[in-house]
Amino acid sequence: MSQPLILAVVGHTNVGKTSLLRTLTRDPGFGEVSPRPSTTRRVEGARLSAGGEPLLELYDTPGMEDAITLLDYLERLQRPEERLDPPALLERFLAGSEARQRFEQEARVLRQLLASDAGLYVIDAREPVLAKYKDELAVLAMCGKPLLPVLNFVASEQHRDEEWRQALARLGLHALVRFDSVAPPLDGERRLYESLALMLERAAPQLQRLIKDQAAKAEERRRAGGQLIANLLLDVAACRRSVSTQPELEQAAMQELRDAVRRREQRCVDELLRLYAFRLGDAEASELPLLDGRWESDLFNPETLRQLGIKVGGGMAAGAAAGATVDLLLGGASLGGAALLGALAGGTAQTARGYGQRLASRFRGQRELTVDDAVVRLLALRQMQLLKALEARGHAASHAIQLAAPDEREWREGKLPDAVQRARAHPEWSSLNSGARLEQAERQLWMQRLAEQLFSQVALSASG
Amino acid sequence: MNQVLQTKNSLSRLERQWLCEAVRLREEQAGPLEDSEAIRHARKAGGTLLQRIESRALWLAQRDGLLEALRHWQQGAALAVALLLIMAVFTGAGLAFAALGDGRAPVNVFWALGSLLGLHALTLLGWLLSLLFMRSNGGALGRLWLWLSEKLARDARAAQLAPALLLLLQRQRLSQWALGLLAHSLWLLALVCALGMLLLLLSTRRYDFVWETTLLSANAFVALTQALGALPAMIGFPLPAPDIIRASGYSAVDAEAARQAWSGWLLGVLVIYGILPRLLLSALCWWRWWQGQAKLSLDLSQPGYGLLRERLQPSSQRLDVEQHQPDETSPSPVQSIVTAAGGAVLVGIELDDRYPWPPSIPDTVIDAGILDSREQRQQLLDELSTHPPARLLIVCDPRRSPDRGTLRLMTELARTAAATRIWLLPLTSDESFEQERVEIWQEELLKLQLPQSQDFPLAWLSTGQNRAAKEGAP
Repeated sequence: MSQPLILAVVGHTNVGKTSLLRTLTRDPGFGEVSPRPSTTRRVEGARLSAGGEPLLELYDTPGMEDAITLLDYLERLQRPEERLDPPALLERFLAGSEARQRFEQEARVLRQLLASDAGLYVIDAREPVLAKYKDELAVLAMCGKPLLPVLNFVASEQHRDEEWRQALARLGLHALVRFDSVAPPLDGERRLYESLALMLERAAPQLQRLIKDQAAKAEERRRAGGQLIANLLLDVAACRRSVSTQPELEQAAMQELRDAVRRREQRCVDELLRLYAFRLGDAEASELPLLDGRWESDLFNPETLRQLGIKVGGGMAAGAAAGATVDLLLGGASLGGAALLGALAGGTAQTARGYGQRLASRFRGQRELTVDDAVVRLLALRQMQLLKALEARGHAASHAIQLAAPDEREWREGKLPDAVQRARAHPEWSSLNSGARLEQAERQLWMQRLAEQLFSQVALSASG
Repeated sequence: MNQVLQTKNSLSRLERQWLCEAVRLREEQAGPLEDSEAIRHARKAGGTLLQRIESRALWLAQRDGLLEALRHWQQGAALAVALLLIMAVFTGAGLAFAALGDGRAPVNVFWALGSLLGLHALTLLGWLLSLLFMRSNGGALGRLWLWLSEKLARDARAAQLAPALLLLLQRQRLSQWALGLLAHSLWLLALVCALGMLLLLLSTRRYDFVWETTLLSANAFVALTQALGALPAMIGFPLPAPDIIRASGYSAVDAEAARQAWSGWLLGVLVIYGILPRLLLSALCWWRWWQGQAKLSLDLSQPGYGLLRERLQPSSQRLDVEQHQPDETSPSPVQSIVTAAGGAVLVGIELDDRYPWPPSIPDTVIDAGILDSREQRQQLLDELSTHPPARLLIVCDPRRSPDRGTLRLMTELARTAAATRIWLLPLTSDESFEQERVEIWQEELLKLQLPQSQDFPLAWLSTGQNRAAKEGAP
């Protein structure tokens, strides 16, 4: 097993070093982040491993605050008659008393960088290229370690990307990475590690392994997300309530059905957040299209449907608003029709028995309530949007609602996937019904198919 | 912990994965279990992710009695198998009795054959069809066994066990082989019992054999008999000669040779078409089951396991480097040391090109430019200490971070002037999110006891009077 690559994350105070570490480690509890300067006052580290093998150690350092004076001081440490090379000069500085007093914070940074294989120099790209930053780079360069500049806050409109590029090139730093720690590009981590691998040839194999491992984990997470959503859709599509044809009872049953569906959706939201290791109340979580971890607009509000561009047939508008449709069985209502089609396509004895029971309940004066197609569409769209927002870790999440990827149109107006239609005819597939048989092979099979479909849709828009 | 380890070793691979699936299903249906201790144990035990998931599941299973339930379920399953085996023995014996009758009437060979092998052939055909066309089907017998096991286990904690086993086995399509093995073995037993009973009956009683037809010709029966008997004849079972067959069509042939030929033929057909296929299929199922069991693994892409991955085998771990948190040093307030001073100086610190420099100022105010580099700083400090100004206005952009270096520069500048003010430039409306920074600036300046304003204090700079005072005195 090779030694892990050791990186020091350095930079001016308040440029988002700890945020970068949080993003790279996917540990929202790492360190402390605030708009105040010098929030991080001691060196903290995190180890990234793949399959139990430690590959990379990242160390967060306090910010450099007074590089101008430090550089001045270092130059004065150089005695006229001698020519110390920069690392030796730094050694002299670190051994001196000022390294424990006035420049204590800077000394911590330099010590850590000296103990590392390379440094990530984080830059707030919104800032002009000031002399203090150049002096900072000069001091850090004295450590004799490779430095990779990381431009943070490049998603902001006022970034001065080009200015920084030119200034860094003049200082001999030609490789740099754009990586916004709040809204990282989807392949940001890969690009960061690849740039590092170019700089540190020795560490290239383990960085490649890290890239591969992270890509595999990302795909696995996306797949698991697809399964969570597929399970939700099957649960809701297969959900049904039998009720006597009395208005009050129907109302109560409808209310109960809606509450059950709402709770089920919330469970899915919670699970997705958990899957992507988001913590409510975190800065990143506030970038999601959620409010306190919940969707702002109610599932059964017609306005929500309109906002997401779900078309609802004229006669169905009222029913969709109610969110539940009375399944007329043979009456040809859209839902009854869909369910019947699903049943015919399913063609199993169990389906036939299901229909028998429903026919019988109709003779007994009972009605069956199910959740409307429009609500199923809405659920699919919303959860997929959440999944995408989580994929991008807040990136562009605030306007995800207006994004209309072509593959989503299918969910808006096209035919619902076969799995959903089949679920209509299988009340035992829904965890919201009593007597659920979730482990049924057929349900698992269709759930997998639906999950695969959702996965590819999310993957498509993630790469596109 | 040791106890868990011991149990872990005593469990087969299938049982361990079965428990994992059961725990996963349980968490999927009833919400996550409290597992901090289990996670700790699993992390301590180490190993691959799969091993850690197993350790955790085992720990939880032991705590919640799932392991006990598994044992009960297995006992139930064994009991169910025992019941089915007894049933098979009686069925086999029954088949033989039904085929031969009590010996008073001659035995109709084709009826006997039908009652011996008819049901077996039908179920075999059904199994083959389901193997070809259906995804997962253990046949009716297999389902009966599962249902019986569940009933016999009588353990509420076992609710997830049967589904978990099915899910696990379905993934490698193992359930059809497992249930197939059970069904074929049961049939094998039944047919072997039938064979034994047949041998017993044929050895101890005298049966006459006939065949009857109204519609078909005798030649058809001769051909059929010989066709059926051809395979058994290859391994030494007797085949009735054509004239014996023909003779048996008219009445029972009262000859020892004919009886022996017919009974041998019947046994041969039972062995070759009944016992042999079931034996081969049992072997096939056992082989596939054994092969698949080795490949059996958990589907780690399941969301339930995805959620566990980070906790059991974290891809990032925090390393604490310095336990000691340094104390914050608070800066001391600025006190001007200047006694004799004159004039007003305006200076900007680290401003970008957004604000035109200098702002409109009267000629009496000296513009010292924008400070950025070390040299510029040093130069201005030198100049100011030789010609101390009465009033110094430092212009600062609050979007810069209020770092120690900048604050120290301000302090040094302020010491050179009789009076100093800081002007924090206003934010544009779309930068209101930076308001927090402005507040931090204000706090820091307050600590230094440097007065600051957010408007351009032109009146103060040019005359030393505050605007309010100026307006108050016309």
